[in-house]
Amino acid sequence: MDQLLQLTINGVAIGCVYALVALGMILVYEASGIVNFATGQFVMVGTFVAISAIAKTGLPPAPAYVLALIGMALFGVAFFLLVHRPLQRQPIVTIIIATVAIGIVIQNIGMLVWGPLPVRPQSPFGSDILNVFGARVTSHVVWVIGVTLALVALLYVYLFRTPVGVRMRAVAQDPDASRLMGISVTRMHALTWIIAAVLAGIAGIMLGPIWLPDVNMGDSVALKAFAAAIIGGFGSVPGAIAGGLIVGVAEVLGASYLSSAYKELLVFGMMVGFLLIYPQGLFGERVGDRG
Amino acid sequence: MTRAVRVAAVVLGVAAVVLAPFVLSDLNMRLTNLAIISAIAALGLTAAFGYTGLIQLGQATFVGIGGYTAAILTAKLGWSPWLALPVAIVLAGVSAALVGASMLRLKGHYLALATVGLSVSFEIVAKTWVSLTGGFDGISSIPPFAVAGVAIVNDRQVYWLFAILLSITCLMIYLIRASHLGRNMIAVRDDEIAAQAAGVDVWAIKVKAMAMAGVCGGLSGSLFAHYAAYVSPSDFSLVRSIEYLAIVIVGGETSIMGAVIGSLFFTYLPEWLRFFGKETYPTFFGLITLAVLILLPHGIMGLLRRSRLA
Repeated sequence: MDQLLQLTINGVAIGCVYALVALGMILVYEASGIVNFATGQFVMVGTFVAISAIAKTGLPPAPAYVLALIGMALFGVAFFLLVHRPLQRQPIVTIIIATVAIGIVIQNIGMLVWGPLPVRPQSPFGSDILNVFGARVTSHVVWVIGVTLALVALLYVYLFRTPVGVRMRAVAQDPDASRLMGISVTRMHALTWIIAAVLAGIAGIMLGPIWLPDVNMGDSVALKAFAAAIIGGFGSVPGAIAGGLIVGVAEVLGASYLSSAYKELLVFGMMVGFLLIYPQGLFGERVGDRG
Repeated sequence: MTRAVRVAAVVLGVAAVVLAPFVLSDLNMRLTNLAIISAIAALGLTAAFGYTGLIQLGQATFVGIGGYTAAILTAKLGWSPWLALPVAIVLAGVSAALVGASMLRLKGHYLALATVGLSVSFEIVAKTWVSLTGGFDGISSIPPFAVAGVAIVNDRQVYWLFAILLSITCLMIYLIRASHLGRNMIAVRDDEIAAQAAGVDVWAIKVKAMAMAGVCGGLSGSLFAHYAAYVSPSDFSLVRSIEYLAIVIVGGETSIMGAVIGSLFFTYLPEWLRFFGKETYPTFFGLITLAVLILLPHGIMGLLRRSRLA
């Protein structure tokens, strides 16, 4: 029983990271209709930029991470200018292949900069062992869950309680009408990419100590985030969170109780199963494209 | 386009196909053969994606079903490659039709992601089901095709066999395009609801399009297995699925020649980029693909058409 609880908590922590990645992806998708197949590479860049920020500047972790997240925000702006703008009006399939191609480029540059070997980043929250109702988990895992909760709360306040957030949602619903109301659609799109990149950066920093990351981690993370988004309902914020948690817990429990080789199959099986049987996902709206 | 240009293009094309084995170096001969294998798989996507509009990112799975079927039947069970070939094709075609039938409610991103899930799952199964697929090590010592008891192993001999099979595939896709089925496919792609209203059985058309992709994938996979004499999970990974779709888009998604040119482009590209070094190759590969996507929205064939060369 204690073991089950322990695994579940670890699964929830990994699921939180997937949820953050899926959230970034969904915000971009809702705002601009672009499904970013390079999402995983965002997380990889986040993980490694954070490691470099500590190693190169000699700063203590906290300011170094802030620096890394500022770097991620700039990365988001660059992505908006270099990728979003030229691709905006292209057909879906071109966007898919193009973002895959960009993912390949980012991954290769990452390999050239950081090398192919996996790293073991220090947890920003320490790695003491805590006792939670009899389950032994690291403080990192507890912090990941806490930080995710806080970020989701912040995101909600931002989207539903601030004028900028309302403008962002307006653009997501109807770019043309928003433009007529005097909202700068371009600026809102840029802001969306910044938020997505920073969320991926935070996910990358938190994933580092529980994943043994290398520069090829991106696709694996992205596929989990896709699965999370599909299971929760593509385009839905609570759906991304629920989907992320389901994927994380299924993965960890599947690896322990079924077979570690087939844990991934369990996740993708669930994703395809949802697509076939319940394509709107847990929280999604029923849209023509989905079924 | 004038008649003279068209005749010249056909003459040049036939000359290139016939002369290729006499002028190409050993390495380029091998690359050309690999490009033909890719082209056959890509032509399946010309039907499924180019004509019917299904964003199918699982083509490597059907190539893999063909490849593993050929490998298991010939290397493990001792069948003749010629006998294994139709089995591989039918199995891949039926699998694709079944996948199609179950996923056809999905469109756009959703179909793309579902087939991504399929492609990744196939790779995992191929890596894990060791007793059937040999796991990471794959299956080796797959026998080559033989004609009248003589094994076709020389790259130049293989080329003739492959060129004939590619021509048959091209002809098949051309005939589909020219038929009632082809027009229905395009109607479904352009406006599904209108097609349905006009009495087109959208579901049947999509299943047929997927089956077509599977049949081409199965043929391509078998040829690959017997040519390389070895199959492993990485030959049929998601990366390959993406590459097949990229081939079709970069070549020109509704063009048969486009799929062939796209395959040659993507097979030769690593060679052309060799001087950048192996380390930086993916970056240039990605950037060139991106440049073609953005600068040539109708692919290489679109460019040729615009410049009135094709």
